[in-house]
Amino acid sequence: MKNISFGQYYPAESIIHRLDPRTKVILAILYIVCSFVCQSAIGFTALIFSMLAIILISKIPIKTILRSIKPVIIIMVFMAFLNLFLVKGGVELTVWKITIYSKGIYTAVTSVLRVISLIIGTGIFLTYTTTPIELTDGIEQLFGFLKKIKIPVHEFAMMMTIALRFIPTLMEETDKIISAQKARGADFTNGSIVKRAKALIPILVPLFISAFRRADELAIAMECRCYRGGEGRTKLHVLRYRTRDFISMFIFIAFLAGLILINCFGVEYPFIENGWF
Amino acid sequence: MTKIKLENISYVYSPGTPYEVTALNDVSVDITEGTITGIIGHTGSGKSTLVQLLNGLEKPSSGRVLVDGTDIWEKPKEISKVRFKVGLVMQYPEYQLFEETIKEDIAFGPRNMGLDEAEIEERIALASSFVGLDEELLEKSPFDLSGGQKRRAAIAGIIAMKPDVLVLDEPAAGLDPLGRDEIFKSIVKYRNETGATVVIVSHSMEDMARLCDELIVMAHSKVVMQGNCREVFSNAGELEKIGLSIPQVTKLMMLLKEKGVCVDGGVYTVKDAVSELAKLFKIDH
Ligand SMILES: Nc1ncnc2c1ncn2[C@@H]1O[C@H](COP(=O)(O)OP(=O)(O)O)[C@@H](O)[C@H]1O
Ligand SMILES: [Mg+2]
Repeated sequence: MKNISFGQYYPAESIIHRLDPRTKVILAILYIVCSFVCQSAIGFTALIFSMLAIILISKIPIKTILRSIKPVIIIMVFMAFLNLFLVKGGVELTVWKITIYSKGIYTAVTSVLRVISLIIGTGIFLTYTTTPIELTDGIEQLFGFLKKIKIPVHEFAMMMTIALRFIPTLMEETDKIISAQKARGADFTNGSIVKRAKALIPILVPLFISAFRRADELAIAMECRCYRGGEGRTKLHVLRYRTRDFISMFIFIAFLAGLILINCFGVEYPFIENGWF
Repeated sequence: MTKIKLENISYVYSPGTPYEVTALNDVSVDITEGTITGIIGHTGSGKSTLVQLLNGLEKPSSGRVLVDGTDIWEKPKEISKVRFKVGLVMQYPEYQLFEETIKEDIAFGPRNMGLDEAEIEERIALASSFVGLDEELLEKSPFDLSGGQKRRAAIAGIIAMKPDVLVLDEPAAGLDPLGRDEIFKSIVKYRNETGATVVIVSHSMEDMARLCDELIVMAHSKVVMQGNCREVFSNAGELEKIGLSIPQVTKLMMLLKEKGVCVDGGVYTVKDAVSELAKLFKIDH
């Protein structure tokens, strides 16, 4: 349990959780493209519905997702205001000496929608439903072709995997060391900055020692099992595309095609010529 | 007299997340002053969580912790005073050593208490004599010590604070029999010479039977039994049901009794068993 409690992985039984990690990377990319292709009101309505559908299917509580949007709210508000006051065009609307335009309102709303869909798309596919280890595995396979041009994809992925694997372990260890020093009366919250920085020594020294010890042990364990890098290495969990992967990719491609069609077939998209996005 | 009292304690890790774990569920415990109390239970039964509540490292989700009759969370600002009074040696304490010399590391606790240098020197000498660390070892770096020596140095770091209550979480885990005996010897010595209360977590029944006056048995986040060794080990069936054993001698004596041999089935140390059997054969030993 503890080895995945890091990050935002949310364990649940949903079809999105069960998708191949490679598929999820592809879907996330497709979804980002979709949100940028959107231009018309119809397109954005479809985008909103698709977001709701993805959230429902993933079985992640709305509350959890809202929490991930919270940190960027300020940026979104700032962006919305910029668009609202700076974009001109369309119907004029004067309230209290301030003139805003209908096009400004439209771009403000749609730019916020885009950011939300970006966060939800990447969040659900890449962090909430995929463990970091699965994700690295998927990325390694997906970009495996780069090995041909001598990029050490496997080694990078292995480094990622090890780092991700040890983050929760080290966090747990840090907790323990902090507790142990607190039990000896260490105080990390009071005093001047210098004093507080000094108070970190009793934590950092044991933490570094244990990190090096773990690295040593891991290296020896890997040597004992004859680890020699990625060459000719087989996998315990072989990633395999299944029907659900193909179906989901098909749906996303169809969605993208639909959005492009809406754009081409002259469905009015009123004020797009020089918006901020 | 009751030294520490836990009243209806519950403790939940990561509440409100999918990783929520109830580590303690409505636990009430009394620890009597001057006794050695053992806490036994299988892995994950909540022993470590329980001992971290005793000195205020963790705050209970509900319930009260009373030390000398006062609720330790009444004045959260003064919680560090409780930590000096109830010294906790965590599991694998040697991993917390950080100073350049053992001596400096032992001094960390007393220095945090604000004692003067003369007093600190005195405490280092006292603590290292309790755990049996030689003078010349004190000037060495923790890296140069053996596992057992490091463990004893870490325990000395707590003893140097002269706590009223010494709490040790699996002090013998991962040590050889000799190292284990040395640790237990120094714990008993500390209790006998200072009259302190001692709480030891372990899952070795033999060690617990030998050392403890009182036993607390934990299973599935609850306290299932509490009493002296004889009372606890008489419930052999129940102990086995929760995955714990009783000391080998007790098992043997019970078996003998079952077969009709006239012995006391509640004996739990080898020494008592020997005299019990000697009685049987009418020999003096
Ligand atoms: N820091 C923590 N975060 C989340 N859960 C924990 C943590 N520490 C312990 N637990 C859980 O609490 C329960 C009791 O653990 P613990 O008190 O360490 O038991 P014991 O010491 O008897 O082995 C276990 O189920 C364990 O997984
Ligand atoms: Mg434990």
